[in-house]
Amino acid sequence: MQNEQTFSRRNLLAWALRAGTGGVVAALLLRATGHRAAAQGRAVWQLDPRKCIQCGRCETECVLQPSAVKCVHGIEMCGYCKLCFGYFKPNAPRLDEAAENQICPTGAILRKFIETPYFEYTINESLCTGCGLCVKSCTNFGNGSLYLQVRHDRCVNCNTCRIAERCPAQAFTRVSEDAPYLLKEKL
Amino acid sequence: MRPGMEERFLMRAVWILSGLFAGYSSAESRFPKPQFESAYTAPVTPYPPVHEILAPWADVAVLAVALAVATLLIYRVRSRRWILVFSGISLLFFGFMRQGCLCPVGATQNVVAAAWHGGGLPLYAAALFVLPMVFALFFGRVFCGAVCPLGMIQEFFIIHPVHVPRRVEAVLRLVPVAVLGIGIVAAVNGAGYLICRSDPFVGLFRRSAPLVMVLVGVAVLLVGMVVARPYCRYFCPYGVILEWCSRVGWKRFEITQATCINCRLCVGVCPVQAIAVPREQLPERARTFQFKRFVRVLGLAPVVVAGGILLGWLSGRVVASAHPDVVQLAAFEQAARMGSEEGLVDVEAARRNGWSAEVVAGRAAATVERFRRGMAWAGGFFGLVVALRMLQLTRLRRLTQHEADRIRCVACGRCYPACPKNQG
Repeated sequence: MQNEQTFSRRNLLAWALRAGTGGVVAALLLRATGHRAAAQGRAVWQLDPRKCIQCGRCETECVLQPSAVKCVHGIEMCGYCKLCFGYFKPNAPRLDEAAENQICPTGAILRKFIETPYFEYTINESLCTGCGLCVKSCTNFGNGSLYLQVRHDRCVNCNTCRIAERCPAQAFTRVSEDAPYLLKEKL
Repeated sequence: MRPGMEERFLMRAVWILSGLFAGYSSAESRFPKPQFESAYTAPVTPYPPVHEILAPWADVAVLAVALAVATLLIYRVRSRRWILVFSGISLLFFGFMRQGCLCPVGATQNVVAAAWHGGGLPLYAAALFVLPMVFALFFGRVFCGAVCPLGMIQEFFIIHPVHVPRRVEAVLRLVPVAVLGIGIVAAVNGAGYLICRSDPFVGLFRRSAPLVMVLVGVAVLLVGMVVARPYCRYFCPYGVILEWCSRVGWKRFEITQATCINCRLCVGVCPVQAIAVPREQLPERARTFQFKRFVRVLGLAPVVVAGGILLGWLSGRVVASAHPDVVQLAAFEQAARMGSEEGLVDVEAARRNGWSAEVVAGRAAATVERFRRGMAWAGGFFGLVVALRMLQLTRLRRLTQHEADRIRCVACGRCYPACPKNQG
């Protein structure tokens, strides 16, 4: 008889603990999911090109090698310069497509003649490492039409972006997956 | 003049001039977009949409189904072979195909940070976090047993598990509690998600990672050959939560459905030392001694909690060093030591935003203060867990047969084929 009583008491305690745990978790979740009802889909990482200072960490800090951050060309902003600051080194021996003249360490920028004196520049993304050297030069001396973006065909959308944590300019933000790019020409 | 000389001269001149005006001129006006005479159309830069392996709700549904199947295999089919097969499927799918984020382990930080800041957590993230806990409340750690990819990758590396001495195990098992506390304080205060950053295997799943991450992952797997599931037992912060849910849980994992004959065969095969062995009721004198010890430990408990709070307060500064404000201050200090700001991008970024060294120092001090307070809470929690575990040690429950310890058991099912009562 006494045994049964202890068992039922123990049973009651067990159910109280279960209910208590469930209650605490439910309260936590209610508070966590409350209020800002807009944030329902997935959020993805993106960097704001207006804040970016081209420190070069996008190339090295990404968990992916090569990085998911690539240079993109907002061609609407481009001046089609013959002497492109994003393409040529400051002390380039000659202004042609030879490797020693180029800023890009991997030769990922393609230069194509359009008409005198204009050239078109496009990015070969499979070569780009996201180092931002061309971006820095284009932003400082040119129109700033080259800029860095997280490319969402590559990005694995880590819960915490390693680049975001190391970004000195704190340029990384979470954006909605429906509009996952921050295009400089449209900002 | 050599060909190209005038171009170079021109280039230098433009370089210097535009450098002078860089701060003033609006970027668009520097070199206007040309009017082309030829029929030229600009190429369109591609913007690929988000690469999505599974839609959020499909993700939740798959996890729920996986947990249900795991529960079925562990409680109904009761076959080590099928559990192993399903572990392989889980590893391939949740690990190598789904490639990590967002996982229930990391979601802990999202949930607590969102709750702290008053909302904004997507419902699917909340569901991912809570599903394994719901299953643990009813059926124990089935998530650890056959679903979690971090556990499954270690499961396949268990070659010759050694017995970790009880005292060492007791100390090592405090690490996950500390990791949980530190991870939550860091997430709430904006120092990033340390729990995700210390995940050793996600790089292996993605087959692309910085070298250090790969080396740590491989090292953990190699240790796991002799110390079964080292990450799960001695690091995983989500395990702390699941252990609690499993402890108060409804059903318990049973080695055999028949009567245990105390042959001890299950003790030998359990890789995680989760088999509780039979214990006689202590004689009267020993029980009095135990009770006295219980009272002494109970008296000591406030001291342990206070010690935890102090320890947390003192470690606040170290944990805060992961926060961007403190990183920036460190860069300014380095600049002061070197006497130059050359190459210090953190300083450069602060200067561009117009933050002086004083502003940065002030913000860093406030951040460190916040971390001290947060870590004091986390330390108190840590102390409380230590005190409770000490009390637990003084309580020796009588046990007549071998059974699976609800807390340590990860439901891998190795004891099923080992038990002679399960055969035939």
